[in-house]
Amino acid sequence: MNCEWVKDNAFLYAYDELPDDQRFEFEQHVNRCAACAEEVKALKGLREVMSAAPMMEPSPSFLAESRMKLQEQLEIAQQERGWKRWFFDPFAMLSSMKFSPALAAVILMVGFAGGAGVAYKIAQKPIDKNGPPQPTTAASVDASISGISEIQQDPNTNKVTIKYNTLTPQTAEGDLNDARIQQLLLYAARNSANTGVRLNSVGLASKQTNDSKVRDALKASLRYDPNPGVRLKALEALGPYVKEDATVRDVVLEVLLHDNNGGVRSLAMQTLQPVAADSNVRMELQYLAANDKDVAIKRQAKAITATLPEID
Amino acid sequence: MAGQQSASRVDDANLIREAQQGNHRAFEELIRQYDQQVLRLALHLTGSPDDAQDIYQEAFLKAYKSVGNFRFECSFYTWIYRIVTNLCLDHLRKRQVRKEESAVLNDSDGEEFSLLDTVSDDRAAHNPERDLMRKELGRKIGKALTRLTERERMVFELKHYQGLKLRTIGEMLNTTEETAKNTLFRATQKLRTSLSEMR
Repeated sequence: MNCEWVKDNAFLYAYDELPDDQRFEFEQHVNRCAACAEEVKALKGLREVMSAAPMMEPSPSFLAESRMKLQEQLEIAQQERGWKRWFFDPFAMLSSMKFSPALAAVILMVGFAGGAGVAYKIAQKPIDKNGPPQPTTAASVDASISGISEIQQDPNTNKVTIKYNTLTPQTAEGDLNDARIQQLLLYAARNSANTGVRLNSVGLASKQTNDSKVRDALKASLRYDPNPGVRLKALEALGPYVKEDATVRDVVLEVLLHDNNGGVRSLAMQTLQPVAADSNVRMELQYLAANDKDVAIKRQAKAITATLPEID
Repeated sequence: MAGQQSASRVDDANLIREAQQGNHRAFEELIRQYDQQVLRLALHLTGSPDDAQDIYQEAFLKAYKSVGNFRFECSFYTWIYRIVTNLCLDHLRKRQVRKEESAVLNDSDGEEFSLLDTVSDDRAAHNPERDLMRKELGRKIGKALTRLTERERMVFELKHYQGLKLRTIGEMLNTTEETAKNTLFRATQKLRTSLSEMR
């Protein structure tokens, strides 16, 4: 090992990239050669100086915001992929079925039985020319509704009454677990101009938070609904999920940081308390405790951070 | 540590297989494991939160669209970093063409700020004089980094700031360990020269 080799490889030594055997010889040489020792010192110095420019760490709120945007983009991509598969690659769908003959047989049997059942019902049902048309699918529900005017629930049962308009006002009645009732509730949460209706629909939807579609609708209400009462209701419904569902946690964190209503922010902080030890949540709470303009929020954040264990 | 790594690789492999079969939750879980590192890398390389966010989104969308073609020839970590580093290299090249990059950037209000000004200093012994010197040094470092080629910048970033092994860096950049080594050598030489000139 000569001085030229040592000088050419000193940067590898400084960055711990020399294999053990070469490292030993390298150190032996440097111990007895002042010029090479100087070179190693210079490179280690460079490493230290360059570390004076620390890594820019993305703040938790920036990370949460990025995640939300990515989530939206992924949802669009998922929809596109689904449509493309059907429109442009139907053979791929069929080819996946051909390897599952049992599944294909089941689908055919269910389809046949369903078709026969529907035909039987239509044949049995007297035609009522004055009766309201019954929307049967999500697409037809959304397409035919011009607005929802009222939602009421029987306090003693699960029965819900929804008044909605198509070309003429219509009413749907059914159990809260009824798929059509759920579609109408989600539609109301997203689209109704009437705050009372949105409040009711979010309140009722909150009884079905195990359903991911309902949870997504609640997240959207929490982020975008203009009425703080509706946002509070959505927040209450999502509260139990902050631990298990990271997307819920991100939305609640976003609301804590950016909502313009002190009450909503305060409840968001309370909701996050069980996960306050999470590094993102902790950092934001510490930031709020030090900097928030709202004195009550600042105090609440201080009280929560004071209960957290120190990090070594 | 090695046990943990291999366990994480097994977990990743399971998640990738599920994602390949159309399980969106599995893909989201994969994102969760690496997205913070990806965002950090993009932020440090571009110096701009907006650009970093664009790269972060584009990288994971690309990964989502092509996860079906993932052949398990490398780890998911290497694969996603390869996508991000390519996007960052494109970005750096475009920026180099547009203008000479500066460590001093403009914020959304048109005000000038240094990259280091955006990094909070929450050390207990906060000293304004030392802070000023640190910022000045940061500016010099930023300027020195602009004198590297995009590839030298990338290798230096991955080695110095991300602490990756040269072999992994070679894999990520679709090149050999030897080439990554030579690139790092040139980068350190240039940085030494630049910083000594600025003294």
